[in-house]
Amino acid sequence: MKPPNPEFASQWITLLAAGMLVVQLLMVVQRMLLTNIRLFALQSLMLAGIAVIIAFSHASATHVYWVAGLTLVGKVFVLPWLLSRQVRRIQMEHEIAPLLNASASMLLCGAFTLLGYIVARPFTSLARLGNNTLGVAVTLLLTGFFLMVNRRKALTQVLALLTVENGVMLAAVALTTYGMPLVVELGIFFDLMVAVMVLGLLVYRIRETFSSMDVSKLSQLRG
Amino acid sequence: MTPLVPILVVPAAAGLLCLLLRSQRAMELANVLAFAVTLMLSVLLLPAVLQAPYVVTECNEFFRADALSVWMALLISAVSLGSSLYAGRYFQRDLAARAVTPGRVKEFYVLTPLFSAGMFLVVLANNLGVMWFALEATALSSVLLVAIYNRSTSLEAAWKYVILGSLGLALALFGTVFTYAAAIDQRSAAGLPSFNWSHLMSMAGQLDPRMIKLAFVFVLVGYGTKAGLAPMHNWLPDAHSEAPSPTSAMLSGVSLKVALYALVRFHILTTASLGSSFSQTLLLVFGLGSMCVAAPFILVQSNLKRLLAYSSLEHMGLICAGIGLNSPITIFGALLHMGYHALTKPVLFFAAGNIHQTCHTLQLRRIGPGMARVLPLTALCLGLAGAAAVGLPPFGLFFSEVTVLSGGFASGHTAATVLLLAAILASFCGILYQLTRILPGEPKVARSSDAAPLDGVPAMALMLGALLVFSVWLPAPLLEVMRQAARIIGGAP
Repeated sequence: MKPPNPEFASQWITLLAAGMLVVQLLMVVQRMLLTNIRLFALQSLMLAGIAVIIAFSHASATHVYWVAGLTLVGKVFVLPWLLSRQVRRIQMEHEIAPLLNASASMLLCGAFTLLGYIVARPFTSLARLGNNTLGVAVTLLLTGFFLMVNRRKALTQVLALLTVENGVMLAAVALTTYGMPLVVELGIFFDLMVAVMVLGLLVYRIRETFSSMDVSKLSQLRG
Repeated sequence: MTPLVPILVVPAAAGLLCLLLRSQRAMELANVLAFAVTLMLSVLLLPAVLQAPYVVTECNEFFRADALSVWMALLISAVSLGSSLYAGRYFQRDLAARAVTPGRVKEFYVLTPLFSAGMFLVVLANNLGVMWFALEATALSSVLLVAIYNRSTSLEAAWKYVILGSLGLALALFGTVFTYAAAIDQRSAAGLPSFNWSHLMSMAGQLDPRMIKLAFVFVLVGYGTKAGLAPMHNWLPDAHSEAPSPTSAMLSGVSLKVALYALVRFHILTTASLGSSFSQTLLLVFGLGSMCVAAPFILVQSNLKRLLAYSSLEHMGLICAGIGLNSPITIFGALLHMGYHALTKPVLFFAAGNIHQTCHTLQLRRIGPGMARVLPLTALCLGLAGAAAVGLPPFGLFFSEVTVLSGGFASGHTAATVLLLAAILASFCGILYQLTRILPGEPKVARSSDAAPLDGVPAMALMLGALLVFSVWLPAPLLEVMRQAARIIGGAP
């Protein structure tokens, strides 16, 4: 197969990155835990798509296929499956009311997007493939932080952390054109898996002790 | 073969071995032995980095040790060894009091060597990406250690620690990616041959300056969170006060410094690339900020271990500010301070652990006066280590603080140094005042005098002894390794 022309690849990458952003905003307003998990899986699928396009259009970037494969297996299938199993087991499918309501959150996330693009602007050049997705990556980081502050269920916080991680991976595959060295990508992926297991374990123990997943109840330690 | 690989393999193997072992004594022995071996190997590395070419590498430069790495490796080994010596009796008493289950104790003995192995990997890895995931590994292993007691408060502390730590590390990963991007910008056709720190240093002049600035800011906030710098320090007092004492000692004694080490590597790279004082100013500001935040919390603290945690925050601030002042003398002082603090803080946490197990509380008011009567040996160690921690002579922290301060004045940063001095004085008063609340006097509550007064004393005496010896006499190789490390941080090739 001959590589597609760069113009074509670049447009697809931009489209998928924009899709990731849209999914992120949907997660900010969505309160059903299971839907949130599916949205995260969709976002990861788009990330894997970006990685495939990059690997496909650069002969020297074949190791990015690994990134795509790991993202597909880990973030699209395994992690969402683990998380939704936990949601079903504890039978708590709704998020309690977030601190900010949906419209205010949306407005704030719009501001974050603007900020993300302002930060990324000096580093954006149309000459290099995928470089213009840096704005999206920074926005994913900021909205991920917001999602974490805004929600009080421990499980949603884990999900928010994972979307931040998606932002970092987007920056890694897009900004550096060829992705990071394979050993680093593998390390990051492995760490992510362990992190989710540790977090899951803690969520379980918090639920056993507090008989709730509401992290606003974790407020005994002060001063 | 160089000792680099064994230093990493021995603790990791000991951790996995403990998975198979059943008796607590055997697990304790495996831990102690592993750390004794790593200490020996770190000492063996000393002469190797002191002669040309001043670095030791292994596996095609994947692992790399210079004077700075070896200094950190020595501290990690020393503190881990002290903690594992103390842990045995500590957990026996906890098990007897049914504060913890045997399964959790096993978890401790498995995770502690893995935690140390992660820290060794941070300081010995050459690749900045590998350094990142090693730090993440230390965070994940220590989170479960913090949660060992499974009390509601310890779960809260662990949750805060893991969420803030992971966010911080995500930011640091962003910074790492930006660093990579800064390096490949110039060579648009091919990827970077390696993401090694030494390779980046050799091409520091060609890095994209705007990108490297952005990268440093992200890394500062990210690794700064893990190093407990204010204002990202919220997890620190919680995690340190809720963890079992041996873990508190390791978190406070080395884990914070290992995160700072990672930050310093980026600082060296940024300074070499920009040739300006951009990163050192930021380090100075965050260091001073941490000291100023810590001082009032020390003055009004009501919990013994939180007091010690805030004191760590203050000491980390001083180390960070010393590096930020960036004169050869202040950097040397900061490295010296790292070493002495690593020997002092564990003793304080061990003593706090003994007091906790006797009084079943950490509230200073409820511990009450008269600890010197109830637990004479522990109180003696606490008093001595407390005097060391506030910087009283003849203990080494006095000399290192004076070195940093005099270097600061000599390099013309008068305002910053005066602020440093004020913060040191405030925490001096704070810690001495708090210790006088519990040590002297007549006990108000009748407490059963300790059944085994020698518990934990060997570990404390060993570390205090080492502190005293090294305070008055620094062996030539140690002095030389610190000088060499100070030159590396100061930007010498």
